[in-house]
Amino acid sequence: MEPAIEIRDLRKSYGDVQALDGVDLTVPRGSFFGLLGPNGAGKTTFINVLVGLVRKSGGEARVFGHDVEADYREARDSIGLAPQEFNVDRFFPIREVLEHKAGYHGIPRERASERAEEVLKRVGIYDKRDTRFDWLSGGMKRRFMLARALITEPDLLILDEPTAGVDVQLRHELWETIVDLNQRGTTILLTTHYIEEAERLCDEVAILDSGRVLDVATPEALMDRGTDDVVVQLREEPTAVPDFAARDDRVESVELDGTMLVVTARQGGLVAPEVVSLLDDDGHEIVDLEIRRTSLEEVFVEMTRQGEERATPEVSSS
Amino acid sequence: MNVDTTGFLALLRREVLRFLRRPRNTFLPPFITNVLYFSVFGVILGERINEIAGVPYILFILPGLVVLGAISNAFENTSFNIFHGRWNRYIEEVLTSPLSYQTMVGAYVLAAAIRGAIVGTLIALIGAFFTTVGVVRPLYLVAFGVVITALFASLGVVAGLWADDFDDLTMLNQFILRPLVFFGGVFYSLNELPETVQQVSLLNPMIYMVNGVRYGFLGVSEVDPNASLAVLAGLTAVVITLDVALFRRGYGLSE
Ligand SMILES: Nc1ncnc2c1ncn2[C@@H]1O[C@H](COP(=O)(O)OP(=O)(O)O)[C@@H](O)[C@H]1O
Ligand SMILES: [Mg+2]
Repeated sequence: MEPAIEIRDLRKSYGDVQALDGVDLTVPRGSFFGLLGPNGAGKTTFINVLVGLVRKSGGEARVFGHDVEADYREARDSIGLAPQEFNVDRFFPIREVLEHKAGYHGIPRERASERAEEVLKRVGIYDKRDTRFDWLSGGMKRRFMLARALITEPDLLILDEPTAGVDVQLRHELWETIVDLNQRGTTILLTTHYIEEAERLCDEVAILDSGRVLDVATPEALMDRGTDDVVVQLREEPTAVPDFAARDDRVESVELDGTMLVVTARQGGLVAPEVVSLLDDDGHEIVDLEIRRTSLEEVFVEMTRQGEERATPEVSSS
Repeated sequence: MNVDTTGFLALLRREVLRFLRRPRNTFLPPFITNVLYFSVFGVILGERINEIAGVPYILFILPGLVVLGAISNAFENTSFNIFHGRWNRYIEEVLTSPLSYQTMVGAYVLAAAIRGAIVGTLIALIGAFFTTVGVVRPLYLVAFGVVITALFASLGVVAGLWADDFDDLTMLNQFILRPLVFFGGVFYSLNELPETVQQVSLLNPMIYMVNGVRYGFLGVSEVDPNASLAVLAGLTAVVITLDVALFRRGYGLSE
């Protein structure tokens, strides 16, 4: 079966700006896929190519095997999009906005009304059904964006920064809804610059920077590329410490500050027992041990910082 | 009902409800304007103006006023709705849907034409309040009504895609639509003009619309109604084709 999204050498330029600079990416069916990247990386442009709001300058893009230009109707019908910027019909109460959207996708009126009620209940704004979008609070607006994306029962749900400016509680509620959908088979493409969000939710993430994919991997695999700190608190200040780096090439640096020893290494959890046993052999008494795991965020910052050094940095506000 | 029909009707419904629910913005202004036109031009001035082509002045201007109301409302509906949808980006609800480009254009144009037809009918009814008016050639009236509202609805699509701000739309209305209408034989007969001006006037498409609708109501026309109808229908087909091409290209719609 075709993957949910299949992209080959996708390009988009705005004048001199290469918003997408040869993107290759495959998002498998049923996956929870994260698209990470700093502001201006090209995430929104990428998504908008899929739904037809941006015309690509080159390359190929398919959604469930449907070319986004030649078979635009099939491609668009399989996608539910909650965009980054609000783009909701402001003349109609939100229930009717949902019914209209369902109608455009060919869902008959009665069924559309039922669906509208269902999704409004699901995101918790059913009691606001007769209100117009402009009168909803910020959090409710975000909920509504999800409801509108769900009204057509899409096979591919695309969420572009769905939790931007949303409080912690709502963020967790939205996550729960999305995870539930994913477990029932909906493919999810999530863009975010909250790395923690991706780390928690995604099976796989692509790191996008300056319109290029730097890497695609599971969050765990990416984190393994970062370095952890093994922090050891010793009873007495040592005069010398063992040469850890010579014993294990995963160790990258060792720092001693009074009685606190910090060993920085890849896969710190695996290195820690060795650190302890070497210290023990040398007769040092350990009073405390802590492993500070690298976060995906640190790996991400490191990767995209390198990216910036390679490419000319773009200043962007979006 | 198949998926395409459902989608078409959904967009048509949205567009029609949009103007039906705001009668104060859509129907009240033409109502007031036309009551004024009929009172001032028809009753007060009309008394002193001789019959034109064998009809009293108030009856002579009635078809022109119907045309004016119908086409400006049809034009406003598509141009405003498409422009406003772009401006506030909610047109993306339509653009990201599986509707074909033909269906999108078809629904926008039909809804706007319906608004034009309603306003045109409203004006005819106001006219009937001031004078006795019949419909001598009903089929011609309907045919011209359909073609001119569809033509201006589809021109409105182009305007709505082209405009960069509201002023652009106002400008089109003030500097193009209005002069064409006022020199389009709404208020005077072509025969009253010097020969050369008459010839130039025949380049104005409004002449054919006004005369076509006048033929429908009164059975008199200063130009051949069949030829007018054919040319206007051809023009409408061309503009609708252009609309679809613009949607497909994403002109004004996608980056
Ligand atoms: N309509 C546009 N015109 C010109 N440049 C644009 C436009 N949209 C996006 N860009 C540029 O393309 C790049 C990618 O933007 P975007 O896809 O919005 O990034 P992200 O969503 O990752 O923040 C940025 O440099 C941005 O300034
Ligand atoms: Mg973005």
